[in-house]
Amino acid sequence: MTGEIQKVTTVTTDIDLSERFHLISRFLEGWSIYKKSFLGKIGLILLAVFALMALCSSIPPLIDPMYQPMSGVDPEIFKATGPSIRHWLGTDFMGRDIFSQLLTGARIAFMVGVSAAFMSVFLGTAIGMIAGYTGKFMDTFLMRLADMIMVMPSLLVLLMLAALFGQLSIWFIVFFIALFRWPGVSRVIRAQTLSLKHRPFIEAARVAGASNLRIIFRHIMPNVLPLSFLYMTFQVTSAIIIEAALAFLGFGDPGTVSWGMMLQWVWKTGHMFKAPYWLLPPGICISLITLSFYMLGRAMDEVLDPRLRKEGTTD
Amino acid sequence: MELKRYIGRRLVQIFVIFFVILTVLFLLFRLAPGDPVSRMVDPNLTPEDAALLIKEFGLDQPLLMQYLYYLKNFFTGHFGFSFHYGQPVVQIIWNRLPNTILLFTTSIILSALVGIFLGKIASWHKGEKTDICMTLGALVTHTIFLPWLALIMIWVFAYKLGWFPITGMITVEIWLDPQAGLWTKALDVLYHMTLPLATLFLIHFGSYLLIMRSSMLDTLKEDYILTGRAKGLSEKVIRDHHAAPNAALPVVTSVGLSLAFSINGGALTETVFTWPGIGRELVFSVSHNDYPLAQASFLLIAIVVLLSNLVVDILYAYLDPRIRY
Repeated sequence: MTGEIQKVTTVTTDIDLSERFHLISRFLEGWSIYKKSFLGKIGLILLAVFALMALCSSIPPLIDPMYQPMSGVDPEIFKATGPSIRHWLGTDFMGRDIFSQLLTGARIAFMVGVSAAFMSVFLGTAIGMIAGYTGKFMDTFLMRLADMIMVMPSLLVLLMLAALFGQLSIWFIVFFIALFRWPGVSRVIRAQTLSLKHRPFIEAARVAGASNLRIIFRHIMPNVLPLSFLYMTFQVTSAIIIEAALAFLGFGDPGTVSWGMMLQWVWKTGHMFKAPYWLLPPGICISLITLSFYMLGRAMDEVLDPRLRKEGTTD
Repeated sequence: MELKRYIGRRLVQIFVIFFVILTVLFLLFRLAPGDPVSRMVDPNLTPEDAALLIKEFGLDQPLLMQYLYYLKNFFTGHFGFSFHYGQPVVQIIWNRLPNTILLFTTSIILSALVGIFLGKIASWHKGEKTDICMTLGALVTHTIFLPWLALIMIWVFAYKLGWFPITGMITVEIWLDPQAGLWTKALDVLYHMTLPLATLFLIHFGSYLLIMRSSMLDTLKEDYILTGRAKGLSEKVIRDHHAAPNAALPVVTSVGLSLAFSINGGALTETVFTWPGIGRELVFSVSHNDYPLAQASFLLIAIVVLLSNLVVDILYAYLDPRIRY
């Protein structure tokens, strides 16, 4: 009796191990394709630079408290001045250091982008799998809901919420972006689930007595996760843009410094014609970080879709 | 006949969606912290006027009755008075609607047409310099942060070069001048519209170009293209008359899917260029706690989005007969 059980467990670990190796080899194979993509490489390099910025964001305030991005004011300057050795990118209207604000902005952008994207992809994948697998009423209901959310301009909805509930905190914004961004993911995942549902290995699992939950998590999820992962990069882009736009309009979290908020300060304090050193960096950063995530996504698209690979020699 | 039924079904769906939006907005206005009455009635009104408004909106009634009042007021076009302007809200947003539609539709149509055209050319020169330049250009313009691009446009073309006006939609002197003809006025609006239009165009055409390019590459592999070649049709005929019309279908779909995104962009553009549209009015009213105006602008924008979705769907059904069945 015990011998039998032991045999079974060794068999399962074997499967686990081989699966793990399989994952690694799949990853390596994907990476070798990814490496060939010119845009993918540029995207990764840019992202590495931004990640470095985010990691370094806590260093300037340690050197001198006047480099605090939000509260630090240079005691000798109380207005916007151009770049100098003391302030590499100049100071804003209150004499705060623009360079350290820019570094903190990178941290906020990553935080907002990655967490909102993770949540929306999580929701989208779960809802897409449930809708595709269960079908019938549940499917119709969830997909109609997705349609409805998809036609709503998320930025303007967030504006309305800001009007009604006052200043929104950064986590509320992240949460809402996720709530508005899942439908796109769930549509794709649902389509994928529908195509998987009648494959022989799913049928086999069902015949073997696997429960619906087990089929969804054990057999369908591994097959849709690469797609979810791909969608995550695109979700990061849109989350960063929505947060930046909201901050630009003056409805960002007042406790954080984001690039959108820096642009709002330039614009609202009337410095946009006078201070290009202040107007240019945040805009360039937002544009470049979205561009790099976008390029990352396109390169990953090539890895996942062999059809693109053959014809996409130039992408 | 099939087309009519399809449109009818879409209309019902749109109506249901709008009804849900209407209801959610009503609930949000009542659930938000603070006094719901203060959101519909200007705090600066005299008590008599305030009482009159409270009665008109049924704000002294139970919630269900309030909802019925709300629906009735919506369908009869009563949105209350703007706190800031002191005018009926309907009048304000009714004035702003044409401006938004003008800017929005022109930018979408222009960017879709140019995107389709350039995407066709890029796919035709696949792998060559033209293609690489176009694809890269599309990627970059498509990911620029819109408000920032708008600020840069103003800075360069309006401030440094002085070619275009910095803000607004009209030159007041021209519109007050009784001698100015319709033509002069139209040119004046066009002159003011150039920068916002260029901004929206630059942001949007890239994604259409990329979609058209990849869809064109797919289409060119189809058998009927091969047949065309075998028949001895010229490459230009194959490209423009056989491949392009079919390849353009996904672009139409993507116009529909990105409408919500475009409306976001439209509101941002209107705000930066102080273009007197609904999007700017919404941003403005939210910053000034002008609740009745915000509510009405939001609803109107929702209607605009839903109806443009319908237009895109009809266009798609017209272009692709398969969708009707």
